[in-house]
Amino acid sequence: MPGADKETDLTERIEAFLADLKRGGSGTGPLRGSGEMARETTYLLRRITAQARWSSAGDLMEIIRNEGRRMTAAQPSETTVGNMVRRVLKIIREEYARSRGSSEETEQQESLHKLLTAGELSEETFREHFVHLKANVIEAINELLTELDGTTDNIAMQALEHIHSNEVIMTVGRSRTVEAFLKDAARKRKFHVIVAECAPFCQGHEMATGLSKVGIETTVIADAAIFAVMSRVNKVIIGTQTVLANGGLRAVNGTHSVALAARHHSTPLIICAPMFKLSPQFPNEEDTFHKFVSPHEVLPFTAGEILSKVNVHCPVFDYVPPELITLFISNIGGNAPSYIYRLMSELYHPEDHKL
Amino acid sequence: MGLVASRGGKQKKGNVTSEQEEEEQPLQAVLVADSFNRRFFPISKDQPRALLPLGNVAMIDYTLEFLTSTGVQETFVFCCWMSNKIKDHLLKSKWCRPTSPNVVHIITSDLYRSLGDVLRDVDAKNLVRNDFILVYGDVVSNIDVSQALQEHRHRRKVDKNISVMTMVFKESSPGHKSRCEEDDVIVAMDSKSKRVLHYQKTQGLKKLQFPMNIFQHGSDEFEIRHDLLDCHISICSPQVAELFTDNFDYQTRNDFVRGILVNEEILGNQIHLYVTQDGYGARVSNLQMYDSVSSDMVRRWVYPLTPEANFTDQQGQGCTHSRHNVYRGAEVSLGHGSQMEENVLIGRDTSIGANCHISNSVIGNNCTIGDNVVLDRAHMWNNVHISSNVEIHQSVVCDGAVVKEAVRLNKQCVLAYNVVIGPNLSLPEGTVVSMHHPEEEEEDDDDEFLSDDQEVGHSKDKTRQKAFNPAEVGPEGKGYIWKASMNDTEDEELAQCLWGLVLNPDPESDSESEASEESQDRSRSVSPEIDDVNAFQLEVLGTLQRGLEENIVCDNLVLEINSLKYAYNITLKEVMQILTRVVLEYPFQQQGTQLTTLQYTGSLLPLLKTWSPVFKNYIKRAQDHLDCLSAVEELFLEQDTHQTAMVKVLMKMYQLEILEEEAILKWFSTGATNDKSRQLRKNQGLQKFIQWLKEAEDESSEEGE
Repeated sequence: MPGADKETDLTERIEAFLADLKRGGSGTGPLRGSGEMARETTYLLRRITAQARWSSAGDLMEIIRNEGRRMTAAQPSETTVGNMVRRVLKIIREEYARSRGSSEETEQQESLHKLLTAGELSEETFREHFVHLKANVIEAINELLTELDGTTDNIAMQALEHIHSNEVIMTVGRSRTVEAFLKDAARKRKFHVIVAECAPFCQGHEMATGLSKVGIETTVIADAAIFAVMSRVNKVIIGTQTVLANGGLRAVNGTHSVALAARHHSTPLIICAPMFKLSPQFPNEEDTFHKFVSPHEVLPFTAGEILSKVNVHCPVFDYVPPELITLFISNIGGNAPSYIYRLMSELYHPEDHKL
Repeated sequence: MGLVASRGGKQKKGNVTSEQEEEEQPLQAVLVADSFNRRFFPISKDQPRALLPLGNVAMIDYTLEFLTSTGVQETFVFCCWMSNKIKDHLLKSKWCRPTSPNVVHIITSDLYRSLGDVLRDVDAKNLVRNDFILVYGDVVSNIDVSQALQEHRHRRKVDKNISVMTMVFKESSPGHKSRCEEDDVIVAMDSKSKRVLHYQKTQGLKKLQFPMNIFQHGSDEFEIRHDLLDCHISICSPQVAELFTDNFDYQTRNDFVRGILVNEEILGNQIHLYVTQDGYGARVSNLQMYDSVSSDMVRRWVYPLTPEANFTDQQGQGCTHSRHNVYRGAEVSLGHGSQMEENVLIGRDTSIGANCHISNSVIGNNCTIGDNVVLDRAHMWNNVHISSNVEIHQSVVCDGAVVKEAVRLNKQCVLAYNVVIGPNLSLPEGTVVSMHHPEEEEEDDDDEFLSDDQEVGHSKDKTRQKAFNPAEVGPEGKGYIWKASMNDTEDEELAQCLWGLVLNPDPESDSESEASEESQDRSRSVSPEIDDVNAFQLEVLGTLQRGLEENIVCDNLVLEINSLKYAYNITLKEVMQILTRVVLEYPFQQQGTQLTTLQYTGSLLPLLKTWSPVFKNYIKRAQDHLDCLSAVEELFLEQDTHQTAMVKVLMKMYQLEILEEEAILKWFSTGATNDKSRQLRKNQGLQKFIQWLKEAEDESSEEGE
């Protein structure tokens, strides 16, 4: 009876999370930061691991893959959820391999040889039963959670290497990571930040108030002024919603114009992105790439008659091609866009790219 | 690592306690899944309105999703018309799964005839324990009402349950296509407390009148607003159900709101307004609204309730969203050269032929569309077959309908369930075709609410007996042109309004309704004081008349007038003025206005004598004398032909010691305020009288010395 209770409790939690995801992001993009979303997903996956009925790693992976599919379908634009599911799947694979004692399997590397023998690899059934597997997996997930908790701090720590005194830095919209990054640098250095307001949601205003509170000299500009101001900027530091598999970005609307302006003036474009934002998605999967929200912010509902005569769109994301990006700063250090494929193979198992 | 785990634990605990707090007071909602009118006839003859698809999802699902996302934990769904279908639908949906956060109870009865009946039943069954949300089953909304709810609860806490209802309105300027013209209201409200002072539907009105007394209630700022869209979402206190029970004549929310406002001073109940700028909320009350809400939904105004979100969690309902708001379900096939221009939603397993042009349309599941078809603002439901070379503009095509080759549907056509049209036909604007013969409507009229399957079968038999008219529906067509029966004027009106636009507004009935509204308003707008004064005057007249006829003692007359004074809440000053006026007008009252001055004084003077004790009772202080005199003056200013009688009246009153000489002199010297009264004072008789008074005074003072 208590077991059954636990299980209904678990399904209720999952349903609640799914409903949250579906409703999430009304208006100004994600309601919660993607960091929080990643943590919540991982908590839920840990709970599933602990409470669901499974006897072998294969079962568990199947369960998690199923739930993961539902979660990503609920809000396709929230890629962190899928990323965390993939990370947990990878953990299960590794723990299983470790339990079997075949340590060389954990070193997943794509070589020509591996690719040729890939057929054999996927025949691995994960059917063997290990007593300690559950405890090991949960412990590994806990480690992942610690890593998630530390990401913003890890990124902020690198701020002094990139921001120098009396520099002019441009950012766009609001990113918690960038905010922490700039604040960290402001403890030792004096510099000027220009924030593009990022209409129509104008998260840039929030960002500017946050920065000015800690004494950073801050200027808010309209999005239209980005190009004009760019010539005076030393560095552009922005956040992103997702880092795509080709090293491109899916970031808040307006980022592309910032990136193009930066390229025109040869200003370095630095992206602060924790590793959990790295997604095996490619930009050509158009269906889930875009997110259009209610046009209310662009042309308010109160405008009346005109609304029946025009089409109003309010897209949330921009695609920024990898050529425009100078550097990624993640919680494990700085990387060039061309190195993203390498990070990808370290974080995710190739078989999990498609859930 | 331990730290992280403990933090996780804490977070969970926090969630649990907050859940428990909510569990103590689960938010409840009453969803009325019936419209109690026949606006959607003949479509709603086969399917209740709440189950009609909007963007390929039943309307009731939008309402339930709205309630659930607001945090409602218990919903009572009340169904009447075709309750079995609604019940089946809900039992299959995600709302009745055990994991649903919103527990749905379905309550059916054939006896509900109005919203009032439903709420009376809520009261009888004692279903609600706390504030609840009241919505119809055809409301599409994503408004976050939690703030309105908070305001409502706060008001109830502060003001001891005075506020009974908070209505949710959305700001939208007039002319917005999602504003239902029938629901257009003008609201006067107190800007600070958001209290509704006046509430009036404006449809068909050319003049608006506001009773003055609503602006006398102490507040400094008022708002009169016409830029509000009624979302038909109301937050109600439990008293609302009781009030409906107490007032068994309340049928709709409109009745309720007006009733509360009229009786506000007696019952002390108030209604408040919550005006939101964000979010979307509208009720699909006619096909015009259906069209605009559907297009708003496709244009993502109701985000996150979008077609691709698949919030109903149904298998295979998912679709993809691409540029220009084109949504495609699974297994959709599109022929060569076909274009989906913009704002198009296509359900699963639908196939579209070559060279079609589709824009601003919603197409259901399992439809087949031929080649060279033009669809603009078309709403096609499931399993519709459209042959080649068809053109459809702003029309609704229901489940199972078949449109044969080269048919053209002009604006605002409706093809109800299973109708077959064509080939080679052009339906004129506003045609409604149904498998139900219009005459059968009259026959089932009496027992239309008993929607037994048996009866449906029975009526089907009947339709088969009657032949289809090939001129109306084409050579291979099946169906009848739907015309509402002409005997029933109400029905006729409703049928015209299927699209919400009254196509040919009948000028006569329009002006009539306006006139009646106006007269109603006028009687309402006259301020109550004047009403009371008039009534009081009549009563005083009656009393004096009776006193004269039955020889009642003056003391008793005084008693009676005093009691009237309290009954009509009249001040002493007014009593005196009215009394004077009544007495002086008495001869005119009795013998007509054609009296000569002589006749007038002849009949008046004895009366003054008989009633002098009454006057004396009211005229005591110096001010009273002046008031009485000014009343006399006022009357003779009106009756200027009899001004010479005035002296005699004053003389008599002086002799009877009703008026004192000092008062008269004072009145004469100071009372003149305008030309007319100055003119009056130049009257020779009056001058002499005053002269005489002055002399008499001198004499008396001399005598005194």
